Amino acid sequence: MPAPSFSLPRASLSLSLAAALLSPARTAISPPPDALQHWAFQPPSSPDPPAATDPSLQPIDRFLRASLATSGLSPAAPADSRSLIRRITFDLTGLPPSPADTNAFSKADAANRPAAVAALTDRLLASTAFGERWGRHWLDLARYSDTKGYVYAREERRFAHAPTYRRWVISALNQDLPYNRFLLLQIAGDQLLPPASPDLAAMGFLTGGRRFIGVTHDIIDDRIDVVMRSTMALTVQCARCHDHKYDPVPTADYYSLYGVFQSSTDQLIPLHTTADAELKKRQDALASAMASHRSDAAQRLRSRLADYLNAQRELAKYPEEGFDQILSPSDLIPASVRRWRDWLHTHASPAHPIFGPWLTLATIPADQFPDLAASALAPLLASNSLHPAIAAAFQSAPDSPAAVASRYSEVFNAAATHPDAPGSTALLALLNDPSGPFQVPATGIVNNELFFPSDTVTALWKLQGDVDRRLIELNAPAALILTDMPHAANPRIFERGSPARLGPEVPRRLPLILAPHDRQPFQSGSGRLELANAIASPQNPLTARVFVNRVWQHLFGAGLVRTPSDFGLRAGSPSHPALLDWLARDFIHSGWSLKSLLRNLIASRTYQQSHTPANPDASSVLDPDNRLLSRAPVRRLDFEAVRDAMLAVSGDLDNASAGPPMEITDPANRRRTVHAWIDRQFVPGTLRSFDFANPDIHVATRHETTVPQQALFFLNGPFAAARARSLAATSASLPDPDRIQFLHRQLYQRPASPAESASALTFLTAAKADAAAQSPPPPPSPWSCGTGAFDESSQRTASFTPLPHFTGSAYQGAPAWPGGPTGWAQLTATGGHPGDSRQHAVIRRWTAPASATISITGTLRHEPAEGDGIRAFIISSRHGTLLAADVHHRDIPMAVPSLTVSRGDTIDFLVDIRNDLNSDQFLWSPHISNSDATWGADLDFSGPDTPPPDLLEPWAQYAQVLLLANEFTFTD
Amino acid sequence: MPPPDPSLLNRRSFLARAGMGMGALSLAPLVAADSPRPHFAPRVKRVIHFFLNGGPSHVDTFDPKPLLSKFAGQPLPDSLRTERKTGTAFPSPFKFQRYGQSGLEISELFAKTAAHADDIAVIRSMHALVPNHEPSLMLMNCGDSVQARPSVGSWVLYGLGSENQNLPGFIAMCPGGMPIKDSENWQAGFLPGAFQGTFIDPQHRELDKLIEHIRSPHASQATQRRQIDLLAALNAAHRDSHPAIPALDARLNSFELAFRMQSEATDAFDISREPESVRAAYGDHVHGRQTLMARRLLERGVRFIQLWHGAGQPWDTHDNIAGNLPKLAADIDGPIAALISDLKQRGLFDDTLIIWGGEFGRTPTVELNESGQSKLGRDHNHYGFSVWLAGGGIRGGTIHGATDDFGFRATKDSTSVHDLHATILHLLGFNHEQLTYRHAGRDFRLTDVSGDVIHPILI
Repeated sequence: MPAPSFSLPRASLSLSLAAALLSPARTAISPPPDALQHWAFQPPSSPDPPAATDPSLQPIDRFLRASLATSGLSPAAPADSRSLIRRITFDLTGLPPSPADTNAFSKADAANRPAAVAALTDRLLASTAFGERWGRHWLDLARYSDTKGYVYAREERRFAHAPTYRRWVISALNQDLPYNRFLLLQIAGDQLLPPASPDLAAMGFLTGGRRFIGVTHDIIDDRIDVVMRSTMALTVQCARCHDHKYDPVPTADYYSLYGVFQSSTDQLIPLHTTADAELKKRQDALASAMASHRSDAAQRLRSRLADYLNAQRELAKYPEEGFDQILSPSDLIPASVRRWRDWLHTHASPAHPIFGPWLTLATIPADQFPDLAASALAPLLASNSLHPAIAAAFQSAPDSPAAVASRYSEVFNAAATHPDAPGSTALLALLNDPSGPFQVPATGIVNNELFFPSDTVTALWKLQGDVDRRLIELNAPAALILTDMPHAANPRIFERGSPARLGPEVPRRLPLILAPHDRQPFQSGSGRLELANAIASPQNPLTARVFVNRVWQHLFGAGLVRTPSDFGLRAGSPSHPALLDWLARDFIHSGWSLKSLLRNLIASRTYQQSHTPANPDASSVLDPDNRLLSRAPVRRLDFEAVRDAMLAVSGDLDNASAGPPMEITDPANRRRTVHAWIDRQFVPGTLRSFDFANPDIHVATRHETTVPQQALFFLNGPFAAARARSLAATSASLPDPDRIQFLHRQLYQRPASPAESASALTFLTAAKADAAAQSPPPPPSPWSCGTGAFDESSQRTASFTPLPHFTGSAYQGAPAWPGGPTGWAQLTATGGHPGDSRQHAVIRRWTAPASATISITGTLRHEPAEGDGIRAFIISSRHGTLLAADVHHRDIPMAVPSLTVSRGDTIDFLVDIRNDLNSDQFLWSPHISNSDATWGADLDFSGPDTPPPDLLEPWAQYAQVLLLANEFTFTD
Repeated sequence: MPPPDPSLLNRRSFLARAGMGMGALSLAPLVAADSPRPHFAPRVKRVIHFFLNGGPSHVDTFDPKPLLSKFAGQPLPDSLRTERKTGTAFPSPFKFQRYGQSGLEISELFAKTAAHADDIAVIRSMHALVPNHEPSLMLMNCGDSVQARPSVGSWVLYGLGSENQNLPGFIAMCPGGMPIKDSENWQAGFLPGAFQGTFIDPQHRELDKLIEHIRSPHASQATQRRQIDLLAALNAAHRDSHPAIPALDARLNSFELAFRMQSEATDAFDISREPESVRAAYGDHVHGRQTLMARRLLERGVRFIQLWHGAGQPWDTHDNIAGNLPKLAADIDGPIAALISDLKQRGLFDDTLIIWGGEFGRTPTVELNESGQSKLGRDHNHYGFSVWLAGGGIRGGTIHGATDDFGFRATKDSTSVHDLHATILHLLGFNHEQLTYRHAGRDFRLTDVSGDVIHPILI
């Protein structure tokens, strides 16, 4: 990108404070002791709207006018009809109003503004375009993408479920699903909905993030972040490595949430009703392969028990997740070593009937083992609490840690071989426990890939990919949900974020901020539903405030709190705290209805005021950032709105939303931008340069930059040009002055002024003069280069296939030479080489541009002595073979003194390999002349004819300018 | 230069104030931010990074280990775990020689580059975190193995801006297509998209394949000129009813800029405008061409250029290094040497930083196949590897740090990727601890929470 033409603070400079904040070693910063008293963590107050002299003023306006009055400012006048309908229509639907809608609204508005606005708002809220616009706002927060990001080649990189999630969001908003329910389904839909409910698609919110090549800690981190910032504007992610520096979020709280997601597994569920046999076949193949690989792995885990136990004494040798090794079946699997570590940590105590001896002996250093083992074991053996097989195995004290491990191995192997032996039951139960260390977790490959050798992982991902690809092919609705694991585990803190530094165990429970008093561990499963309930609760101090602030931001250009996804201690105060609280309470009271919130905001006089302040000077001094809303903000449309508006005004918009998503750069894609294919790994340059929300991160506020790439997209890209052509075509039947008026109304919902009409006509006159003066495109070259065969029976050219690749100096079959099906075939300005067989003779073809009498001259040279030389022919389409020669290691003149041709006749100069392919290069550059012109194969040699440019005609040029103007891209 | 977009400016300065404010800081640098504002006088103005993607072997190039010959065929006393299994000590098949006044030891693979040994500072004690390409590419390019973070070039552009409005300020060239991890390597992360690297495949020769939308297929220059003039008239009338909204002017000016960019970019990428002797020095192959293109771009004010070796990971030499490394090195040895000479001749060497390296190095032990036999190649090694720097502010002919006797692990003056990044920013005039950006509740920096400038390699 070039340097953007906006300014950012290049850096936050000379801030010793900032430096200190970033360097925990130097200065410890921690939240103030009263951090829990921060306004955003308190329940919203129940403020009464300030009194107003005008009793018709809504509560919202009363709050805002009170603060304006305090600052000595007055509200702006009401906006004019056209500005207002543009503003409301773009805000609610991301599309412009039609000229007819604008006229109708203006009339209704003149009669009764409140009624007109209410009717307009209702109509727009009822349109599907509403969900498409507001759905995209939510998708920004949900870091929506159709792909997983970078994955290894074995894995399908597209999500099978993403488009279904996107459609669910759009439809939920169109149905005005209560916001609390909207959140509950996205976080814990699996526990609230019947199996295969279409609403399970909601869980794509959690599962649609980047896959981080499968590293669990990072996937969970992404999920914690997307939930906590989207719903409550809490930057909990900051506490992954250390306690949050500003907010009362200890690291333990981060890991409490980590445990919730760690105790959930991903599951891909097809939601379609019609059965697909092929899909079933692939699902079965996956399931049976998974079962068999899990069984093999369990076999290895049992037979290698001694090694896995010995590995517990040298855990440092087994790298953490993220350090990937190629593993063969004979290797110890690091993830299984860690699973043993964690299982022993959780389950084994010295009193454990089976692993009591292990734990007791594990602490004895190897060199003191023979001396200390017997005395350490004695109390356990005396207690009679040991499993009989274990007690028997340890009757004599082992002399080394390795001996301990091999005794355990013998005990378990004996139980596996003799399942009916007395005492085997308890051992078998452990061997077969799906949550135990002898089994690979019973999940999809997405959650258990670490427990298999590398080749197995590849095989299983391929089978999973077959299922994914079938779902994608079918464009079948699918959900990627989370479900709770049968045994939820408490997480351990990773000290400084490193899974290699395991800290204390913490319960799964709510963060301190949400439960400052009497916090209890979650009771049910992973606790995800309890977390969801706490988020979607009317008692939650943040959820409603955060959401109404986001809605405010989309209508007024900025939130009442200007950091919409950070309501922590550094967020700053709301510009209107009482209003924020009033809105939050009103929102909950309304049944968490987004549509009724929007109705209220749009009905306010503040929303409906003009962008011109009542007193511009005072406004710019006292309200420079418009925090007091002394005027309506002038806003630039985002990329989606500009693109969709161009499609809408040109009549090209395709309202389809079903069907597989299309690339945004596909010229055939005339659907609304929200439905486009978003690949987080390959975000098109166009989207990036227009500040499209980065699909890797939760985006609460889009950047707004102005860079020349945006202008290049509109000027030179095919998109705006196609819209301009459509506009020109639609209006083609109108007389010029009416055509100008039509375009202005269509794009700007207003007539063109006399000055605008005049400058349009001047522009068009000049453009038409230019177009008339355009020189006609040069005639096509009479020469072409191809391959074909000489037909012996007819003595003519049997076929002609153009040589497809031009290198700048030669035509050939492929970019590399020799290459492609024609092999050595090549033609240059002066000669060439026939293709590999007689079927691939090279043919230089001349097509007569006009009827004439011509003569042909030229000399054919075949230099090499090797091989048997070549055959050459001159063949007329009208007269057949004119000349034929076998040429080997000599020069031969190839001349035809006189020949009549008609326009379109061809003369072929054909060379093949004769009998064998050996040293067949030749020089032959025929010339053809008539009385006043000469065409030479060398003189005229050039690249393939380029089609004449498809220039915009003058009206399309004009329409393009109108599309590019600021008036189109900004709303008042 | 168009005026700043006030909505953005206000939001940013608000954030900066709200975050660190307490009235303790001057707002001036935040508001008048159009011109570059380093923290101190920069030593270099631009950076070119030869990225040997796949992981170049240090023990075959810039870190000679004669002891490997002595132990050839024997297991090393301290063999470390890497991605795949490796076996015994594997001596380099390439000869090393001392070059220049400094006597810097460089292998025959980079004999041409070695002519500039006295300009080069080799860091022999780099280390990364894991022996896998993806996280190591992210660490080297973006300072974090996993999370979506801005790349070095994006940070530099954010800090300094570009010197040329008509060209992308941060360019990543890679012949033949994308490297592993694709555009994540030059991502802007949470910074505005404008700071992201622009990808260019130098195999293309047509400008419109190098830069998207750089030419109009449907309008002549004269037509565009007339269109932009009419656009300006329409926008002027619109502005009359919208006073004091600079975003409107910024957008208008962006069309003028785009118009100029079309001709400037044509010139910058056209190496046929170079004299024959210069083209010959760089070499008439894709690496020579991309390096020469890069010099033309640097000269025209492009701030940060990465030259990748090729699509995928060409330097990932798991087998047959005796056959593979000479070909790979020959691709870039000549162009690097030519670039250094050329920059010197043009007086650009002293304010340009040249970086050479990959995401990690290679094992001194030989890689084994599944049956335990030697593949005559080396596995990934993140425990110790080499990167070298040359150009403005660099103390040439120096060696910093060392790996162990065999080249497996950095042992002396161990240098992290954050240290390297801190040094790059330092040379560009930034204190890496203070070049920050507020995102998700925290002030992020390229070097996360550590990193020390490598002063011994600096003048």
